[in-house]
Amino acid sequence: MIPIIGGVSLSLALGFSFISFMILFLFFRTGDYRFYIAGWRSVLVVSCLSIIATFVLLNELIQSNFDIDYVAHYSSLQTPLIYKITALWAGQSGSLLFWLFILSIYCLIVLLQNRNKYTELMPWVILVLVSIQFFFLIITNFVANPFSPTDANFIVANGNGLNPLLQNLTMAIHPPTLYLGYVGFSVPFAFAIAALVTGDTSPLWIRSIRRWTLVVWLFQSAGVILGGWWAYQELGWGGYWAWDPVENASFMPWLTGTAFLHSIIIQEKKDMLRIWNIVLIVLTFSLCIFGTFLTRSGVMSSVHSFTASNLGPLFLGYVFFILFSSIGLILYRRSDLRSERRIESFTSRESGFLFNNVIFVIICFAVFWGTIFPVISEAVTGTKITVGPPFFNMVNIPIGLFLLFMTGVGPMLVWRRTSKKAFVRNFSVPIAIGLVSLLGGLIIGIKGYVVISIALIGFVMAVLLEEFIRGIKSRRRVKNETVITALVSMVAKNRSRYGGYIVHLGIVFMFVGFTGRAFNQELEFPIKKGQSQKVGSYEIQFISLKELERQNHFAWVAGLNVFNEQKEIITQLFPEKRIYFHRDPNPDRRQPHSELSIFSTILKDFYSIFSGIDIEEEIAYIKIMINPLVWWVWLGGWVLVAGTLISLWPQKE
Amino acid sequence: MARKKFIITITGVSLITISWIIYVTLNPMQSGTGMMKFLSLSELKATQESSRVRLGGKVEPGSIIISDADLLDASFELSQGEVSIPVVFYGTRPDLFKDDAEIIVEGKYLSGMFNADQLQVKCASRYEGDLIDESSYRIDEL
Repeated sequence: MIPIIGGVSLSLALGFSFISFMILFLFFRTGDYRFYIAGWRSVLVVSCLSIIATFVLLNELIQSNFDIDYVAHYSSLQTPLIYKITALWAGQSGSLLFWLFILSIYCLIVLLQNRNKYTELMPWVILVLVSIQFFFLIITNFVANPFSPTDANFIVANGNGLNPLLQNLTMAIHPPTLYLGYVGFSVPFAFAIAALVTGDTSPLWIRSIRRWTLVVWLFQSAGVILGGWWAYQELGWGGYWAWDPVENASFMPWLTGTAFLHSIIIQEKKDMLRIWNIVLIVLTFSLCIFGTFLTRSGVMSSVHSFTASNLGPLFLGYVFFILFSSIGLILYRRSDLRSERRIESFTSRESGFLFNNVIFVIICFAVFWGTIFPVISEAVTGTKITVGPPFFNMVNIPIGLFLLFMTGVGPMLVWRRTSKKAFVRNFSVPIAIGLVSLLGGLIIGIKGYVVISIALIGFVMAVLLEEFIRGIKSRRRVKNETVITALVSMVAKNRSRYGGYIVHLGIVFMFVGFTGRAFNQELEFPIKKGQSQKVGSYEIQFISLKELERQNHFAWVAGLNVFNEQKEIITQLFPEKRIYFHRDPNPDRRQPHSELSIFSTILKDFYSIFSGIDIEEEIAYIKIMINPLVWWVWLGGWVLVAGTLISLWPQKE
Repeated sequence: MARKKFIITITGVSLITISWIIYVTLNPMQSGTGMMKFLSLSELKATQESSRVRLGGKVEPGSIIISDADLLDASFELSQGEVSIPVVFYGTRPDLFKDDAEIIVEGKYLSGMFNADQLQVKCASRYEGDLIDESSYRIDEL
């Protein structure tokens, strides 16, 4: 009975979304406010019905109702409760419903928050949002229905269960976080389209979505970083980023979204870049849909896409529809979009912001190009040419370093025009520190991009520190406060500015981690119990081998001692070789899994993988990686989140 | 004036970076740019391509041979329909590597043998597979 409610809710929601269109069109024709209220309510109904449908599916997953095909595929009786819940977004149709679910929650927030605000914009905002819901409702009703029943010929006694790789707490948080980011860009997009249609492209629409965009950006950044963290902890190739199409899919909207976040500041403060902002948000939202398409249509073969389906044409068509209708609107409104003000000087903050924007978009283009190149090459030449990480690294490292340089230059520029005197005063110390880092790096024999990266990290770090020190000094001169109180009250008084600097600091930390990758070491070797093996300047000793039986798997646990050059023990590592479902009579259903063991320090990570075992000979096959500075990537992530939260914290008027 | 200078610089920077992207794309043979052909097995056999390529296919059931002396040393047959080629691979194999697994290998084809140095399993087919196994049964069989 209950599962029927889910299917019916989805159908009803589709119907109501169509009704919303009609009513809102009536409002636009007649201007009768009652139609607007009816439309508002009808979208409220669409959102609530979609949310109900999601909860019904969640309930079926928890109850293990294997009469529903989706439940039978992604959960089993043995699946722990938490992973029954995460199974909601583990598969294709469930994750599309989850998209709709988050969109509907956002929709409710927008509806309730702006009930009596932005009366000009809101009808169109609602229309755009419900049209996005309409698209996902069509998909979940007709193409990938999560409530479709299991084949009537089968009685399913137990479901397939969730992939062990996805049975990880990070995997429980990462997808929803990323989705909150992805889907959230629908709202700024809706406001942008509303501004275009109504012709009011003044900074009003920007003001209404600035905080919203920052929240969404925070979710997206956290989602991307968590994805890398999961890959590092779970996949066992020792890295956190492989330029996989699906990773790129989450990275591209982040790049344009970050550009947007910067450029709306200029429109808000200076009323410039009107067209540019609209273009950026349209691009970002299209990339979000495109990303869902890449992840869920199976067009690229990738570790993330467990499925191939006929969703492709629909999604691609929708992306083109968004792009063409937005471009049409922009052309139609081009005279209104012309900004009154012009950039006055090359050395102004405006121009710095614009530069950073161009770089973000170019990196996004490079990633996009590399991602779709296999498809294009196959269409044009007939031979598919795949693009691997070295391509992306080679293209993006120099551009990324330039971006890092801009992170340092930006805060030093002032609005309108930076005088020569201010230029020298602001830049002399950071440039000196950058040069010292460069020289230091060269002296100890570091070359190429790595040494440039070190120099830039020094430079940007100095710029940021200088900003803080200068602020504290001037407060102390006036107020006679201690350093700490001056720092706290300075940040509290000017949250968006200093929060932004803290985010930049997080990015610099992440670059420290990226630079460390140049010094990775790895070795793969067979080892007998009791023996030792040298890896770089460290020695690994295989001291124990235990067999354990746990709830749903069997595990061999290798005990490894890690010694440094002075023969002092640094840590013990316990990588595991596991066999999931080891009691299953069918050997095909048993699944091996390597559980990593990582010892992380501020300078380097010791990363161990138990790849194989020869039980008779007691030989373990171990892979050891020594990854310097990875810790800084995660630290950078935390600092970025903290900085964004500071920016977001409401300021007392 | 300032605007002109600004536009020129922006265009300049964009042009430089775009040409950089094109340059990297057009020089795939340069070592380490990570662009390589993805061939079907019959294409590979026909052309005897000896540069680094990627191949996709299934692991022929029963063909996996793992050396007794070194567990990291494996050989197997990669198949695409009727066509198959022998592959050797040394290194840690992914956990999901087994008979019938869909895999992608990267390496060189030398004298009838594919020497792979990268091996990825394409997907955990079991998690999208049909529900035909011992936990489910057909009604008409009851």
